[in-house]
Amino acid sequence: MDKFERLLNLTAALLHTAHPLSAGELRERMAGAYSEDKAAFRRMFERDKADLRAIGVPIEVSTLYRLDPPVDGYRIPARAYVGRDVRFDPDELAALHLATNLVRLEGGSGAGLARLGGAASAGAAGAVEEVGELPFHDSLGRLVAAAIGRREVSFAYRGAERRVEPWRLSFHRGHWYLVGWDVGPSEERMFRVDRIASEVTDLGDASHPVGEGPDPRTLRPWEFGPGRPVEVRVQVDADQAGWACHRAGVDGERQPDGSVVLTLQVRDAAALRTFVVEFLEHAEVLDPRWLRDEVKAWLEALV
Amino acid sequence: MTSAPAANPTSLSVAERMARLLGVVPWVVEQDGAHLDDISARFDYPREQLLEDLEQRLFFVGVHPFTPDTLIEVRIEDGIVDIQYADWFSQPMRLSVEEATRLLAAGRSVLDMTKGSGRGPSGDEDEAAPLVRALAKLRLSLGSEGADGADYVEVSLGNAPSHTLHDLRRAISGRLQIKIEYYSQGRDAMTSRVVDPARLLSHDGVWYLFGWCHRARAERVFRVDRIRTLVVLDSAAEVDLPPGPSPTLSIDSVDRTATVRLAPGAAWAADYYSAREREEHPDGAIDAVFAVASESWLARLLVQLGPQAEIIDVHEAIDPDLRAATAARMLERYRR
Repeated sequence: MDKFERLLNLTAALLHTAHPLSAGELRERMAGAYSEDKAAFRRMFERDKADLRAIGVPIEVSTLYRLDPPVDGYRIPARAYVGRDVRFDPDELAALHLATNLVRLEGGSGAGLARLGGAASAGAAGAVEEVGELPFHDSLGRLVAAAIGRREVSFAYRGAERRVEPWRLSFHRGHWYLVGWDVGPSEERMFRVDRIASEVTDLGDASHPVGEGPDPRTLRPWEFGPGRPVEVRVQVDADQAGWACHRAGVDGERQPDGSVVLTLQVRDAAALRTFVVEFLEHAEVLDPRWLRDEVKAWLEALV
Repeated sequence: MTSAPAANPTSLSVAERMARLLGVVPWVVEQDGAHLDDISARFDYPREQLLEDLEQRLFFVGVHPFTPDTLIEVRIEDGIVDIQYADWFSQPMRLSVEEATRLLAAGRSVLDMTKGSGRGPSGDEDEAAPLVRALAKLRLSLGSEGADGADYVEVSLGNAPSHTLHDLRRAISGRLQIKIEYYSQGRDAMTSRVVDPARLLSHDGVWYLFGWCHRARAERVFRVDRIRTLVVLDSAAEVDLPPGPSPTLSIDSVDRTATVRLAPGAAWAADYYSAREREEHPDGAIDAVFAVASESWLARLLVQLGPQAEIIDVHEAIDPDLRAATAARMLERYRR
């Protein structure tokens, strides 16, 4: 029996049973599907379970006390398999299908559509030219589910274990950000999803009320960091004034010579320096004095 | 950015076949029979593979004790597929959390594209729009309690002004020329150019415009957020860019290179700026060879990284003391 047929039969057997079955019982019920060799059977069975879970089949594990010694028992509860009865109208499926053709997600985006009943217009959509590409991370799904389900999760981040109540996921300037409540220090925080260095583990119900949180789309690099911001004035020459205002997200004050003075709220002086020197000799920090001297010292060290 | 490569573009993995077939069965059961061609198009399931999976695989699926009434029955006559006794597969499996999230992310992107902002300040999304309804249902299937209207996923494809994107789309679809004032970071100057716009693409959160630049007499890629002013002209576009796969954003054609030694703390720059070659030292420093499209790009990199980056070898057309010369020029402003 090939793998595909075996997976279908295993799914059917696990859905069909009223009570959990042990691995041995499953092998008996699926005569001929698995190897006679016990170790080989176990390896295949473990791999099959993992493959089914990877496509979202909810295999439930419980302990079978009716056997001596007790062993793990498996089944797929119909309620968990079907989930909520959410029906999509044809125009909704068509809209989703179009979206998956316009935007390419790293690793594909359209597989879920088959679950929803496919898209009626699928055949015609090949003509659409893709207009966007997004990266995707394995942890995004669990984080979104935690946000929707109001759960607390933990993960490793910059060398430390974090406990977080996710509020929302935000894609901005090439990165996915998690915005939520950081349980340890008790504050609203933002995390770069690509820097999450472990699995996302569910810790149970969230307890802190949902807030707005920082918005990665309006925060500039020099606004990140702890403490109170320092007001910094930066002057940029006329021919790059528009670009500078756009980058900084402020209007700035136009000078008679066409240049512009930007007033910025700075928490991260190094990030501000990076921004200012990007304009080469077309920009300078006016004040505060200490920050102007810092940029000057930085440049002097390079001469 | 890569998607899983397939040896044969039309061949599906076992997981992909499973995901599709578990959607096909309940749909065919609910329709009380369906045509092979319709199933193939609707589920993006190559016809030959679909036929094989129905006749050679699904046909033999059943449960203990494998009496006829516990085996799935698949009948295909004149292209019409009929499936019986598929009780366990008769309802569609729920979306996995990841699948739902992928669809949400794609849907939010399209809303961002059409509205300029994923989360409008007034939140006045057209609730009747099919995509908006579909996203609300996706949130429901992920466990959301009713229509709280909250956005759990927001996407910003680029921070270009929405009126600029709107004008660019109008010019592309109307095949009109545009005149732009563009900040060229490589040249470190504002330039004015007439462009035949061909295509807009968001890559890593930045909008790019692909088009034919009449000033350069060549195909060029522009960052939309660096377009300072934009006028859609009445004149028709003259140059047709060939359609095809996504144009790359690389600068492979540049032949001037610089080898820069990056301290461990600046090693990220090798990836970030797509170094052509790199050599790693035991202490974590990297010698990275960059294509240098313009000297000011390299100057900017060097003054930003400061003591963490040093030129160790450079094309003869580029000043080997570029870092010192640039810093000296910049310092004049601070000595006034």
